[in-house]
Amino acid sequence: MIRAAYDIVVIGAGPAGSIAARTCAQAGLRVLLAEKRQEIGSPVRCGEAVGRETVEKFIPADSKWIAAEIDTFSVSNPQGDTVVMPPLEHTLILERKIFDRELAFSAAQAGAEVIVKARATGLITNERGVAGVKLVVQGQPHEVRASIVIGADGTEAQSTRWAGLKSIPQLRDYYTAAQYLLTDVEVDPRICQYHIGWSLAPGGYAWVFPKGNQKANLGLVMWVDPHERRSAIDYLNDFVAQRFPSRSILAQIVGGIPVTNVLPEMVTGGYLAIGDAAHQSDPLTAGGITNGMHGGLFAAQTAIAALQAGDVSRKFLHRYEAQWEAEFGKLYRRLHRIRHAVLKVPEEKMSRMIHDAAQLDSRHMSLKDLFFIALKAHPQLLLEAGPYFLGQ
Amino acid sequence: MAVPAKSQAHSLVVVDYDHCSYCGACVAVCPPDCITLHDATLLIDTDSCTLCRRCLPACPTGALTLQEAKA
Repeated sequence: MIRAAYDIVVIGAGPAGSIAARTCAQAGLRVLLAEKRQEIGSPVRCGEAVGRETVEKFIPADSKWIAAEIDTFSVSNPQGDTVVMPPLEHTLILERKIFDRELAFSAAQAGAEVIVKARATGLITNERGVAGVKLVVQGQPHEVRASIVIGADGTEAQSTRWAGLKSIPQLRDYYTAAQYLLTDVEVDPRICQYHIGWSLAPGGYAWVFPKGNQKANLGLVMWVDPHERRSAIDYLNDFVAQRFPSRSILAQIVGGIPVTNVLPEMVTGGYLAIGDAAHQSDPLTAGGITNGMHGGLFAAQTAIAALQAGDVSRKFLHRYEAQWEAEFGKLYRRLHRIRHAVLKVPEEKMSRMIHDAAQLDSRHMSLKDLFFIALKAHPQLLLEAGPYFLGQ
Repeated sequence: MAVPAKSQAHSLVVVDYDHCSYCGACVAVCPPDCITLHDATLLIDTDSCTLCRRCLPACPTGALTLQEAKA
């Protein structure tokens, strides 16, 4: 069933891996997309909000995987003051399980071979670098040769370590996250709520995303603090008990997310890392779905060019890093600095900023207007965050 | 159910399988790469574990604890 050699082997069939596999298959390459789990899209990973225009660069919007459509964001402090504003981009709440599977399906339709229950146990290397993957497929070991291996194996990626690229995030640059899918909750179906307060989610934030039919996804990310005695799920339980005491829990999802900015090196000879494996999630919000899909696209474009040129050296594959840098480099460095600036704002000050902004009629205000209000309370934010909010 | 991976003569990081959700959050922050996740199994190689404790607060469910050696 599995061949001995492919042009491209992609490890991991999340959104990033599926986009990479699809793009390579569309170019006529022989592609294997290997997923270690027994079911693509399951168990789901945290976070389900994506910009509509951004996701539509990769797949046409389909009601099958859209749980809700959002036209308003709200930001609240623990006292309940709330600022409402339009989102930067029309936003969709995904049904991740279906979305992930549709993307893998699109890779298969493009000609990629997709397999599940296929766990990578190591890389095959030769003098020019990575030359294949050792897989265990339904218990059977296989050595699969590949001109290029693309590592899309997520936060817990091992392929980056095997390729010698792994960097261990600082704990302050890592989020620990927990989320519930709740039912029997009344929430506005068009609003994504964000809740900010260190007592609620230390160093992070909590969210309530509507999922239609009286369902909502409630979650939080918080920083990793060696002195913290309570886990993300403890904080989440408090948040749920406060807001939605009479609910049912349909699902629990937990995980860790690097918010470090990308790996200093995302390629080596014959190997490219994408998505969470390359730490491509947003260094401020930890959102990573479409970011990883961009990583998958860029990596695939470089891989295709490399095979055409017959050169899979680290030097050639560096094109991918250069493309990422051109597209996201400056923004990511800025977001990373903003997060560190925000972490220094004490809870009372943050709450007062939200309180002040909540007094205004912000429904038609831009993020820029709101930023000026925040500035009055906390001028040092200007240095880091100013250029981002001013759309520079 | 807390299962110590080796003897109790040494300090150990212990996994509470009633809380572990096999998410891999601990794997990414482990410098010696001594945590392995396969499906519903999380294994800590106590020989290579340096007891740095980085994995403890990274766990979203509080499933990891340090069991101090018995004197």
